[in-house]
Amino acid sequence: MKEEIKKGREHPLSIIINEALKIFTDLGFEVVTGPELEDIWHNFDALNIPKDHPARDMQDTFYIKGDEGKVLRTHTSNVQIRYMEELVKSSGKPPFAIIAPGKCFRNEATDATHEMQFYQIEGLMIGENIDMSNLKGVLSHFYKKILGSDIDLRFRPSFFPFTEPSIEFDLKFNGKWLEMGGAGMVHPNVLKNCGIDSDKYQGFAFGPGLERLMVVKYGMPDIRPAYQGDLRFNQF
Amino acid sequence: MKVSYNWLQNYFEEKLPDSKKLSEGIIFHSFEVESLDKVKNDVIFDIKVLPDRAHDCLSHWGIAKEISAIFDLKLKEKEYKIFKPVSTNLKIEMKDNKCLRYMGRIIRNIKVDKSPAWLKEKLEAIGQKSINNIIDAANFVMFDLGQPIHCFDLDKLESEKVIIRNGKVGEKIITLDKKEINLDESILVIADERYPLAVAGIKGGMKAEVDNNTKNIVIEVANFDAISTRKTAKKINILTDAVKRYENEISPELCGKTMESITSLIFELASGEVEEVVDIYSNKPEQKTIFISADYINKRLGTSFLKKDIENVWQRLGFEYEEQNGEFKIIVPLLRIDITGPHDLVEDVIKILGYERVEEKLPEINLIPKINEISYKILWSRNKLLNDGYSEIMTYSFRDKGEVEVLASASDKKFLRTNLSDGLKESFKLNQINMPLLEMNDIKIFEIGTVFKKEGEEMHVAYCDKKNCVEITLEEFCKDLNISEFFYDELLKAKSYKLKAIFKPWSIYPFISRDVAVWIPEGESVDKLKQILIENGTDLLIKEPYLFDSFTKPTSSVGGDGKISYAFRLVFQSFERTLKAEEVEEIMTKITNKIKENVDWQVR
Repeated sequence: MKEEIKKGREHPLSIIINEALKIFTDLGFEVVTGPELEDIWHNFDALNIPKDHPARDMQDTFYIKGDEGKVLRTHTSNVQIRYMEELVKSSGKPPFAIIAPGKCFRNEATDATHEMQFYQIEGLMIGENIDMSNLKGVLSHFYKKILGSDIDLRFRPSFFPFTEPSIEFDLKFNGKWLEMGGAGMVHPNVLKNCGIDSDKYQGFAFGPGLERLMVVKYGMPDIRPAYQGDLRFNQF
Repeated sequence: MKVSYNWLQNYFEEKLPDSKKLSEGIIFHSFEVESLDKVKNDVIFDIKVLPDRAHDCLSHWGIAKEISAIFDLKLKEKEYKIFKPVSTNLKIEMKDNKCLRYMGRIIRNIKVDKSPAWLKEKLEAIGQKSINNIIDAANFVMFDLGQPIHCFDLDKLESEKVIIRNGKVGEKIITLDKKEINLDESILVIADERYPLAVAGIKGGMKAEVDNNTKNIVIEVANFDAISTRKTAKKINILTDAVKRYENEISPELCGKTMESITSLIFELASGEVEEVVDIYSNKPEQKTIFISADYINKRLGTSFLKKDIENVWQRLGFEYEEQNGEFKIIVPLLRIDITGPHDLVEDVIKILGYERVEEKLPEINLIPKINEISYKILWSRNKLLNDGYSEIMTYSFRDKGEVEVLASASDKKFLRTNLSDGLKESFKLNQINMPLLEMNDIKIFEIGTVFKKEGEEMHVAYCDKKNCVEITLEEFCKDLNISEFFYDELLKAKSYKLKAIFKPWSIYPFISRDVAVWIPEGESVDKLKQILIENGTDLLIKEPYLFDSFTKPTSSVGGDGKISYAFRLVFQSFERTLKAEEVEEIMTKITNKIKENVDWQVR
């Protein structure tokens, strides 16, 4: 039997990431990347997370031996800071919108819903009039595209040092409300830390986990097979 | 934090909404409610108070204020048992500024006794043990108001003098739970003129413990620095309910109300002669005022709330305010240390008015995004490898050796990977064993990911088949790529994305695969053969028979019989157990016999 080269099978997380990038680039978002090994400034300080504050307990951080100014990034929010610093350095200014999928790390025990490494997708949009209804609009648009139009989105109060107000958002999918991730309006201190006028500009940021989306979308019972190199996982 | 429904009810004249409604209100306007349990005639909520409100909401009073604002219910004024203080000789000496306020008060001739039923019940409802009326009163008021309290047996002190100072190297204290702690200069203690009596804000000591013979007490209501309390608690490894409150930076203003409340309760439960309070409080927090307009709020939220909607929020939150030149001037309550500027008040407004009132609006933007080189290269490389027949895997970034090590890890793999190839080779072996399950004739895999070397991180591409394994940098892999020619669309379209697709879990038990090849005369359908395989394969046949080979003999015109050989692979597996070879042989025999019923067919 003659065999032409069959296309390889994609990893489900990549499928999700690609689709997310397509949806966001269609909306005008710019794709950006940032380092996984990050300094304290970009991972914590610039994001308005005070030193020695219990808020740092919320992230069980991997610090690097012999270089304690470095961490494995605990979220993709470092990309926000790096992008804005670069923008200001090159005399750029808002409006802008960025999207950054990336690997993050947290030092916690692994189980069916938690991994030490995971993907987040960071979104940041800043302008003169970017408000919370835009955050709701963009998130709703994204999840409708990726999960189908029969979903509902709702916000609940939450806390992140880098957003104010901060929210947690849930989706109603297949008749059930599911926690999906965190978001909020960018804290003025974060803009200030990057040299952006926080009286003139405002906007939103979000950073939901992508494994969560994958598990919800495909009805997966466990996230652990995602990193075991097992091709039985590549079903789609 | 555990919160009792009945306890909350004491804060209101009006009947509270039922526990389910109350819980929903808290979830959508304040905090997550993790559980809701019926305990006797009470309901206990487990509320996950957010870190920015832990300074004023880790208490029944704090939650009651939230409920008052959410449901617009008036808070009841608490009635205290009236006591008349007499003058005091208590001396307090403050030697370190890690203590922000220290209130002390002596009560003499108290009667230490069992607690009344109502108090026991309240404490037990939230999982606290009843000890005696004095200790219970202090605990109750802490869970009621959020301010830790400590009581010392006055007669066990060297004199009627309390000193707040740093510990000394060589000094020791034995805590109430009989743990010996070695003190040092970094640990703040409460002491008498000779010995330490308590680790400030963390745990009391045995020396001045209140027991059944105690007659005279000193009540301590104090405020300690959040960071140093937290560091000390970590250092000596004691986490108490008091630490939880201090480390979240409660306001020293809370001490006053708490001292009134605890004095009144002890007086009610144990009577005695109340003396005047000694209050050491040098740095009172400044009164903050914030100006905010309805426009500012609506601009950030994208809402169109009226001025009166917003005014109503200030009232429900109990904020003092006035209007000045079209703006609200808000007098920020001293206990709300989280409110530092107008952006914080926006959150209070929308929490009370409800996030459901924010509409969904796509922003109107005309942005032409730039191409990001790294993500473009990743997308391009992935596409190229997929088209060349390689499947994508992802492996762990942590390995048991490497060049970059993390300080502490929940796992035994403390190093970051220096290459992708090691993980890729392990994956290759795993997938080779599973080839029959994967319906693949050979395994070709790749990973694109970050590796970590002494010099820093690097993005690599690695791909592997049965012949070799190649790993190079992303740069190197993309050296012939000219980015300017493309846009993302080219790379992102035509992906295997499907709107509806459901994952099929696999069995953890081993599979058994068998091949069957059959000669079938020209013109007869292979489907008939496949059907026989499916019908006789039983439930253990976990996937459709997979045609992996076929070839045709020369036709009769050139002297052959023109028959075609079809080779199928059958995979058997159970979700409940390991299969025995014999049971698969039995199925194969049945299949062979069924095939032989077709006289022109020959099993090879």
